[in-house]
Amino acid sequence: MLTTKSWLKSPAAWLILAALILLAVLPLVNSSRFVLNMASSIAIAAIFAVSYNLLCGFTGVFSLGHAVFFGSSAYIIGIIMNRLGASPWFFLLATVLAIILAVLLGLFVGYLALRLKAIYYAMVTFAVAELFVITADKWREMTGGQDGLLFQVPSFLAGKFAAYYTVIILFVAVVFFMYRFLDSPTGKILVAIRENETRASALGFNVLRYKLLSNAVAGILACFAGIAYAVLNQFVMPNILDVNQTIGALLMTIVGGMGTLAGPVIGATFITLFGDWLARLAKLHPLLERWPIIFGLLYIIIILTMPGGIMSGYYKLKFWWSRSKQK
Amino acid sequence: MDIFLILTINGLATGLLLFMMACGLSIIFGLMGIMNFAHGVFFVIGAYASTWTYALTGSFAVAMLAGIAAGAAIGWLTEITIIRPVYKNPIGQILITLGAFIVINELIKMIWGPNVIASPTPDLLQGEVNILGASISIYRIFIIVFSCLVALVVQLALTKTRLGMIVRAGVENAEMVNILGVNVRRVFALVFILGTGLAALGGTMIGPTMGQIGPFLSSQYLLLGFIVVVIGGMGSFIGSMVAGIIVGLANNYIIWLYPPAAMPLNIILMSVILLVKPTGLMGIKEAV
Amino acid sequence: MLLSIKGLQAFIGQFHILQGVDLEVREGEVVVLLGRNGAGKTTTLRCIMGLVSSSAIEYCGQNIAGLPPYKIAAQGISLVPEDQGIFSTLTVAENMRVALRGSAREGQKNLDFVMSVFPDLKQAWHHKAGGLSGGQKQMLAIARGLINKNKLIMLDEPSKGLAPVLVNELGRVLQEIKSYTSILLVEQNFAFSKKIGDKFSILSDGKTIMAGLMADLIKDTEAQQKYLGVSTQ
Repeated sequence: MLTTKSWLKSPAAWLILAALILLAVLPLVNSSRFVLNMASSIAIAAIFAVSYNLLCGFTGVFSLGHAVFFGSSAYIIGIIMNRLGASPWFFLLATVLAIILAVLLGLFVGYLALRLKAIYYAMVTFAVAELFVITADKWREMTGGQDGLLFQVPSFLAGKFAAYYTVIILFVAVVFFMYRFLDSPTGKILVAIRENETRASALGFNVLRYKLLSNAVAGILACFAGIAYAVLNQFVMPNILDVNQTIGALLMTIVGGMGTLAGPVIGATFITLFGDWLARLAKLHPLLERWPIIFGLLYIIIILTMPGGIMSGYYKLKFWWSRSKQK
Repeated sequence: MDIFLILTINGLATGLLLFMMACGLSIIFGLMGIMNFAHGVFFVIGAYASTWTYALTGSFAVAMLAGIAAGAAIGWLTEITIIRPVYKNPIGQILITLGAFIVINELIKMIWGPNVIASPTPDLLQGEVNILGASISIYRIFIIVFSCLVALVVQLALTKTRLGMIVRAGVENAEMVNILGVNVRRVFALVFILGTGLAALGGTMIGPTMGQIGPFLSSQYLLLGFIVVVIGGMGSFIGSMVAGIIVGLANNYIIWLYPPAAMPLNIILMSVILLVKPTGLMGIKEAV
Repeated sequence: MLLSIKGLQAFIGQFHILQGVDLEVREGEVVVLLGRNGAGKTTTLRCIMGLVSSSAIEYCGQNIAGLPPYKIAAQGISLVPEDQGIFSTLTVAENMRVALRGSAREGQKNLDFVMSVFPDLKQAWHHKAGGLSGGQKQMLAIARGLINKNKLIMLDEPSKGLAPVLVNELGRVLQEIKSYTSILLVEQNFAFSKKIGDKFSILSDGKTIMAGLMADLIKDTEAQQKYLGVSTQ
């Protein structure tokens, strides 16, 4: 574990400090709703991608249903705010319920499916995601169906500054937690499982239990992303539960670099900005109405050309840089 | 009683179409280890190609041929561009085949629009016939008979031809087949194209059962395909037939009783199989 | 000279598995590859078969390293892996049919010859291969390796797990086919290998540390103790 002094010497630390300061003062520099919304959306995507990366990049478990944690948390907040009212107490209740559901879901589905081979796990999580989407779609009385659900959050969270800071604080907390978690013994064991499950098992670690733990933790983090989403948008629709949402996180992780801490954050930034730009472009040109096709092409191109993501490019650069310095 | 008969016939028909879609997926995974998330799209390609050709030519036979041809051709392209680069990369497979799924789906929406289009029953096969007091649609009977014939032909090919033996051997141990001197890559490609062609063939027949087709079919049938493959067992041709029929029948009965329960039922079926016999009803590949 | 390997290097992932293997097989010879577990014997066979990429391997005067396994098989090399690779859901007949390149009619003569070496298999012709006994599976695996008039058959620990009477039968079989094809054998059972081997090569940590005539090794009990690590009988 690096001591604070030595840590402060590394360039990465200064970058992070600068980023934190920037995030903190952004509303003072530019208080437009658009900019704050964009920054918040990026942060939410980043939290979700980071949580996905814990499962996928660090433990080696590949799920297609991760958005279920995200979406169901947002829906729980939405439904309770809508039905019981937007008081802080109900909000707290909703938050607690969301977390409990995330843990239960993670453990339940995990226990059913984690013992299976990767491909079966992917299919089961795919099916579970579809199940949730269909439920959200069909259960109109509760969820509003395809029209979605509008709701309000407690007043202390409702203003644009309040929403922004809530999201940013959650983001920083989650990233910091990940940083400590990955460095902890538990985190290292998860990496060992990803590298070589058989060996980890032979060394005496109960692989299933660790995978379940990873699933639960990743679920809780995704749940925070969902709560942040609910606070920011005050609206939910069934599509936040579906496979596309999870694939979005996968894409962010791959683009940024799987198995790194900064990777998902970088990927989330790129992909969110890119998606927003595409959507606005689509409004200008009728030809681009089918803009999701760009994303499909993106998935294909990414796999064909950049298996390691941006972070691997960065590490390669670092490697060459240090090699050339030695000469 | 007649309701039950009608539901059973309809369920059999749907189930057999499901089987045609899923058997390719199952064998492709069993043989090549590829999870093809784009597979549902070939079903829809068959549906659209045949509907369009039928409207153009008035001949259902030609339309079906067109559907198969379209499915096989696009399957061939897909194998070369999308599948080959990711043979050894499971996560890459999922992302890239999903990408292909989205691209092809969006292309279909671009050409034919995002809404449903009409898909009428061909004149020769219209009408109903009276069996045991119930009015059974002739078209459904056609589906059942035709699908069974196709299944028979494929099963014969699998058991009696050397290629069929190679495929069955490859599902067990593709590396050994390679060692024995068989160009497995070529076999993989062939099986992939046959799988997509069969899926498209299933798709050519789905239209008249609902009177219309739409792009939503691809994800719906992809999911059903997975469920059938898991229940039947990966790599098992007969398994996908049995599972397809089970899912088709179960769905039809449930939809008549309480429609929203249909998809949850499928998922429950799949979960039960995974808990009790993870290899599927007839599968040989290990699931754990 | 059928097969000639000098200083073979191979990597699996980041591991430098083979660091200099020397091996020669002449026509009509039986060469035994000896060594402890993990020495790299199986990897050597897999390199020859094209399953693992390696440095140059000379076969009939040409470098076959880099060719895919099925092309190497077409050159007349076959491999019987340690787990035999039997297709258990296929019948014995189907197993043989998959292995037989070319039309069934052309292969009939080969088939008759192979069946004369393994009469047991003829009995089980239409049985599923999964139901065969361990010894029968081994025979089937070897039969598959012979069906195409191969010049070189490589066997990975064929005597492993077989009862002594079956090991003798295996020895008889190998003696019989020796006149038709060269044999490269990986074995840990020295007692068995010394009966049929003409030449030997001992591997340790991915390198050849000793090679020569089997007759010489039989007399050299000190080398046996030192390199093979098993007490000799």
